[in-house]
Amino acid sequence: MNGIRNRLIFPALIFCGIGFVALARGTVNEYILSIINFVGIYVILAVSLNITNGFSGLFSLGHPGFMAIGGYVTAILTFPVARKSMFLELPQWLANLQLPFFPALIIGGVCAGLTALLVGLAVLRLRGHYLAVATIGFLIIVQVLIINWESVTRGPLGLNGLPALTNMWWVYLWVVVTVYVSWKIKFSSYGRRMLSVREDDMAAQCLGVNLFQTRVAALVIGACFAGVAGGLWAHLVTAITPMSFSVIMAFNIVVMVVVGGSGSITGSFIAAIIFSVLTEIFSPLEEAFNVYGIGEILMALILILILIYRPQGLFGSREPGVLLARNNQ
Amino acid sequence: MQKKLSLSLLGVMLSLLLVMPVLGAETIKIGALYNLTGGMSSIDAPALNGAKLQAKLINEKGGLLGKKIEVIGIDTKTDQKAAATGAKKALAKGVVAGIGYGDTTFVMAAAPLFQKKGVPFVTSGATHPMLPKWVGDYMFMTPFGDDDQSFAIADYSVNKLGIKNVVVWTDNSMDFTKALSKFYKQRIQELGANIVLEDFFMMGDKDFSAQIARLKNASPKADAVFISAIPNEAGLTVKQIREAGLSLPIVSGDGFDTELVTTVPGDKLANDVYFSTHTYREDNRPEVQAFVSAYEKEYGRPPENAFAALGFDAVGLIADAIKRAGTTDGKALRAALAGTKGFKAVTGEITYSRASGVPVKGVSIISVHDGKYKVEEVWFPK
Repeated sequence: MNGIRNRLIFPALIFCGIGFVALARGTVNEYILSIINFVGIYVILAVSLNITNGFSGLFSLGHPGFMAIGGYVTAILTFPVARKSMFLELPQWLANLQLPFFPALIIGGVCAGLTALLVGLAVLRLRGHYLAVATIGFLIIVQVLIINWESVTRGPLGLNGLPALTNMWWVYLWVVVTVYVSWKIKFSSYGRRMLSVREDDMAAQCLGVNLFQTRVAALVIGACFAGVAGGLWAHLVTAITPMSFSVIMAFNIVVMVVVGGSGSITGSFIAAIIFSVLTEIFSPLEEAFNVYGIGEILMALILILILIYRPQGLFGSREPGVLLARNNQ
Repeated sequence: MQKKLSLSLLGVMLSLLLVMPVLGAETIKIGALYNLTGGMSSIDAPALNGAKLQAKLINEKGGLLGKKIEVIGIDTKTDQKAAATGAKKALAKGVVAGIGYGDTTFVMAAAPLFQKKGVPFVTSGATHPMLPKWVGDYMFMTPFGDDDQSFAIADYSVNKLGIKNVVVWTDNSMDFTKALSKFYKQRIQELGANIVLEDFFMMGDKDFSAQIARLKNASPKADAVFISAIPNEAGLTVKQIREAGLSLPIVSGDGFDTELVTTVPGDKLANDVYFSTHTYREDNRPEVQAFVSAYEKEYGRPPENAFAALGFDAVGLIADAIKRAGTTDGKALRAALAGTKGFKAVTGEITYSRASGVPVKGVSIISVHDGKYKVEEVWFPK
């Protein structure tokens, strides 16, 4: 009985999601729609960073760097050919190339993943805060490259006037894919390996886990989804600049993972929703009383309170019982 | 427990009360998108204050078309995501026009959404001369374009200062500073002067000794140095160049329009600096004086920078267009804005007569000698 219920709950959730998307697109105004879209993108970011930071315990602050790579690649691939020649000096084959959204997103994600592979090979020999510092360095390198590679990226001005391709169906599709992949990883032997590396790398190694391979894989998978999220982001804002993906953004995503509970997919999911909606909720208050910044202060306060009273995060490393198959409970 | 519950209920009720929009008569809404928190806030917050002040003054005189003007300030947190959602939020609230931003990259995240909806957007401080081309015919600029301010100081440095050989320093991290250098180099070569050396730095740099050493050794000897920088680096570069014993003229654009140019090096070293900027600083036209005294009365301090005046002017431009159009309909309002002619703004007269959509507007050339600012001349585009 329980087994059947558990198998049914995921399709049911997916259908609820489809219903929600259809309903939202039919009823609310564009402002609310864009907020929901951004919430979705942050869910993708938080859940994918959770694979890196949460499952494997690699404290990476480089997520926005991968987003930037994915975002720029996707943007250049979907940019209309006529406008490309106006703004950029690209090699011939790239200048005449205009791809549909989906393949462009995939290529963006793959490029981010490949970069992660290269970076990971070098950087993942480090641990803890050394790794955190190295990933910030990576983020800065990406930014400086984008600023100075003017023929392709248009420098600090960034690319603008991108086609507004991102809509709620695309975002929803990728939310589902991200959560599905992340869930499958967590409850496979592969995910167990990642968790074991996080808990005690020495013990994991003694049991035959290839530490380095596991760590690189966690970084690459997270980066792929960050790249896709970057592509979605760029085509939602319809502009992308080197400063779009900053250290502050890295901090925000890490906060979502930590508050949700590192290792918990449900936790990252819910924390992403809470933190992206929270600052918007307080904006009417800010506008009516000229007290701008209240949302951020409250967000910081909530963060402090959670870290004091629930340092393991909302869900710890676990998922809520209803979602789990019995043998995992 | 009971007490806790009722207390928290009270809290919720209170916050609901606060969040409730101010109910009242129908108003003419103008959406003001600004980065009130984050890195751009020192430029954008005064601009919003200026905009709100203009709305207040107009309302005190009876408003427009029998209604009051309401400036809805939206904080976009120096974040492009927030700029895009902020624009959608303003449009969902039914604004008749949008204003905002002192930086091109944020305008490009917000203004296209206004264009798509057929609602005019007037940027108060973004100066890239291609903006109206990129966004479309519903995009208007309050300030002059970067090309004009660069041309103004280039003309001045060759014709008045008699400069033949110039060194160009550029902040390589911002589009604004790069554009400024590009236009300056273009003009100065047209005028027959040489660029001896180009040097670069990044926003946030504190030590310019390497650039200064190269400046000293430049051959042929430089007559002047053009520094394309924003306020923080403006003060530092002047200080360090003068401390190194170099006395050649330093020229720049409106990034130097800041008190830091005199306060950082001190009055003794703040010498022989020339920059082009909005016709506002040290200006004694009646519009400027009225604005400064109204701002002081409202906020208890003098306007922080030219962006306050530009925000004031952006709302003024829209109000003027609404008055002439007699309606707030997007299409008619756009046409009225495009027909703006000789509007007496605090930052100079504004006329939209060029095909590029950039206003024809005077540019002040300001000199600094012994820590004193002085308007040398007002340059007009041809």
